[in-house]
Amino acid sequence: MTTTTRAWPRRERQSWTWIACVVVVALACWSVLGLDARWGRLPSAPADLYTVGRLMVTNLTWNDLETCVEAMWDSIAIAWVGTLVAAVVAVPLAFVAAENLVPRWLAFGIRQILNVLRAIPEIILVMAFIPIFGLTPTAGILAIGIGSIGTLAKLCAESIEGVDAGPIEAADATGATRVQRLRWAVIPQSMPEIASFVLYRFEINIRVSTILGAVGAGGIGQVVDDALTTAVPRDWGLAGLALIIVVLATVVVDFISGAVRRRILAGPTGVTRVIDEPAIVAELMT
Amino acid sequence: MIRFRGASVVYGGGVHALNDLNLDIDDGEFVVVVGLSGAGKSTLVRAINGLVPLTSGSLEVNGVNVPSLGTRQLRNLRAGIGMIFQGFNLVNRTSVLNNVLMGRLHRVPTWRTLVGWYPPVDREFAMRSLERVEIVDKAYVRASNLSGGQRQRVGIARALAQEPKIILADEPVASLDPPTSHVVMRYLQQINRELGITTIVNLHFLDLATAYADRIIGLRGGTLVFDGSGADADADVFENIYGRSLTADDTMAKAASGL
Amino acid sequence: MRATSGEPATATVNVRPTRPRLGWFGPAVTAGLVAFTVVTIWDWNYGTGFSIREIFSVIGQKNPVIEAIGETDFGQLVSPRSRKKFVETLRLAVLGTVSGSAVALPLALISTRIGAPNRAARIAARTISNVVRALPDIVWAMLFVAAVGSGALPGLLALFLFTIAVVTKLTADTLDGIDTGPVEAAKASGARHAQMLRAAQVPQILPAYASYVLYAFELNLRSSAVLGIVGAGGIGERLENFRQFQQWDRLWAIVVMFIVVVFVVDRLSTLLRRKLG
Repeated sequence: MTTTTRAWPRRERQSWTWIACVVVVALACWSVLGLDARWGRLPSAPADLYTVGRLMVTNLTWNDLETCVEAMWDSIAIAWVGTLVAAVVAVPLAFVAAENLVPRWLAFGIRQILNVLRAIPEIILVMAFIPIFGLTPTAGILAIGIGSIGTLAKLCAESIEGVDAGPIEAADATGATRVQRLRWAVIPQSMPEIASFVLYRFEINIRVSTILGAVGAGGIGQVVDDALTTAVPRDWGLAGLALIIVVLATVVVDFISGAVRRRILAGPTGVTRVIDEPAIVAELMT
Repeated sequence: MIRFRGASVVYGGGVHALNDLNLDIDDGEFVVVVGLSGAGKSTLVRAINGLVPLTSGSLEVNGVNVPSLGTRQLRNLRAGIGMIFQGFNLVNRTSVLNNVLMGRLHRVPTWRTLVGWYPPVDREFAMRSLERVEIVDKAYVRASNLSGGQRQRVGIARALAQEPKIILADEPVASLDPPTSHVVMRYLQQINRELGITTIVNLHFLDLATAYADRIIGLRGGTLVFDGSGADADADVFENIYGRSLTADDTMAKAASGL
Repeated sequence: MRATSGEPATATVNVRPTRPRLGWFGPAVTAGLVAFTVVTIWDWNYGTGFSIREIFSVIGQKNPVIEAIGETDFGQLVSPRSRKKFVETLRLAVLGTVSGSAVALPLALISTRIGAPNRAARIAARTISNVVRALPDIVWAMLFVAAVGSGALPGLLALFLFTIAVVTKLTADTLDGIDTGPVEAAKASGARHAQMLRAAQVPQILPAYASYVLYAFELNLRSSAVLGIVGAGGIGERLENFRQFQQWDRLWAIVVMFIVVVFVVDRLSTLLRRKLG
């Protein structure tokens, strides 16, 4: 992902490492000392958490199963449509943000806009959208959609930039137009990667969709929020069931999506770059 | 008919890739360009189809003045010139046939090329090009599953599919082993003789040059230093072109046996 | 046809092949995705009823929230309560990241494929990590609020856990990705030796580890906006406050400040990560 700047030489690096450590420790101290938290409850926290867990497990009622499953499905549906909305905008945008396809100033400009877009958390978007669109899935879909455009477009653009230049030159040499060159030299090389980015982002957006529920956007997050925050007394059983459903659903979707992704990247024979490269995964989560 | 007059190419840092070149190449000739790396072989070949623009001088290809061409006309020019690369430059993820069909991109309406719905006559042409290099049985195989020699043959087929008047080959065999190199050179020679396509090949193995060339062009530091038939080119001539005495790496046979 | 030398017998096989049948995978996946899309978009019981037309019609209408953007009350920038909460957000993010990352490094060593003390520990570590990651940090925040009461503590604990889960996975994956040759060989001569070798590889992955810590910080910063909404501390509290009282102008001020901070942190983080190589 990094091409232009070199890492620091070793000796310099060691002194910088020490400085970095000092800075980190200083920041940590500043945080601890200033944080107005009820530290007194810290030692009992694990036990308290265990208590909560036990409360949830012992009060499980299967009557609520249908509600939970439906809510989970809603969250997944919102995540999927939102991801699609983002993809529809981000993928074409990526082509205009790739330095090997458009003038540098244009690519740079669009990249900066994308960076600003990436800084907006979905929760804030949904807070703005609910008053506009009401408590409908649309609010969540747009929040997820807009929230994902930045990251998706950035990663897809980097993928496009990493494409082998040889076939591009060959296409030029046959007298192909720019569009034809895109279609036959650039897209076949980057499409598999782009597809896996979209699928992976979908997995992440399911978690986001759950979070949005806490603000009233619907889905399983709302169920948990109602059960733990608004209900008096707290509905432990419902919360517990909902969480189990979330974990199960996440595992299942991750598995299927992961299998499809790997197959897409590998092609009918052989393996190429695998997306589980940690740096890319980390980038996708932002 | 390719005609260079006083052609020069100067790159950003003041590097003279081509220096005041005067060169005529007639239709149907088989020309091999030799010279050290950086002597200007690659620049010469890429200037002919406009991939590298001239800094000064003139270049006429089939009656067309290349430096004056606009984008559209440049594409027309390139459609009539096929090019073969050292790195093959195939699209690895797609089939051999799709790669060869790239040679028909200029002739087929754009919308059809975008959806991949080529007319039968163009598919026929692609198949026949593959037949000529004897690899049509691999038409639906993914390009990444081929060996180097096979990929280069696909490259040749792609160039042939353009129905070109000129074929340019930039170090086409540099990545191949000796037997495969001969196979590829023989195809190029055959195509030149049977179809009358003007062929210009960059080589850095001198024995290959003398074996296949009708005419050898020697470049040194961007300047033309030799222009004669294969028979005229002996060790002394090559030493002059290279500006140094020859080593084992300069001939394929010796380089291969030395390994 | 000339016989070709140095190549397997292709002269006899130069025959046009028949068009291969389309594999089952591509069409199946495409059909599945299309079906899934239709089901989720359609306006029925199990769909979302998403309609672009509807969006545009709604946007056209007057709306207090959007109008408030023009009247953003930047007075919030100097409001003591907001600033206090902002600083709290930063503190939460920093502390959560630092504490979580500190635990994550040794944990990653335990959960790598090779050089782990034993298989059970490795599987336990991985499973816990996966379960923690499956629940979004806000859910953990809600759980901790239920467990220890509201305030900054539950938020910190949630970030702590989440950071561990994320950084551990990324670091473990990186460790697994290193050339396993020497470590495999060491394993043959005894597990302890393999562990020592693994430990010796730690300096090698420290740059990657540091970049993951930076990513975690970015994620935590964004999360900490949310935590306050469920009572776990941070600027989210103010956001929820303004939202409930419909004070949109103040809300937007906080939002703008927040976006600016995240953007700046993101740029700095990118710069630092490039230096890490």
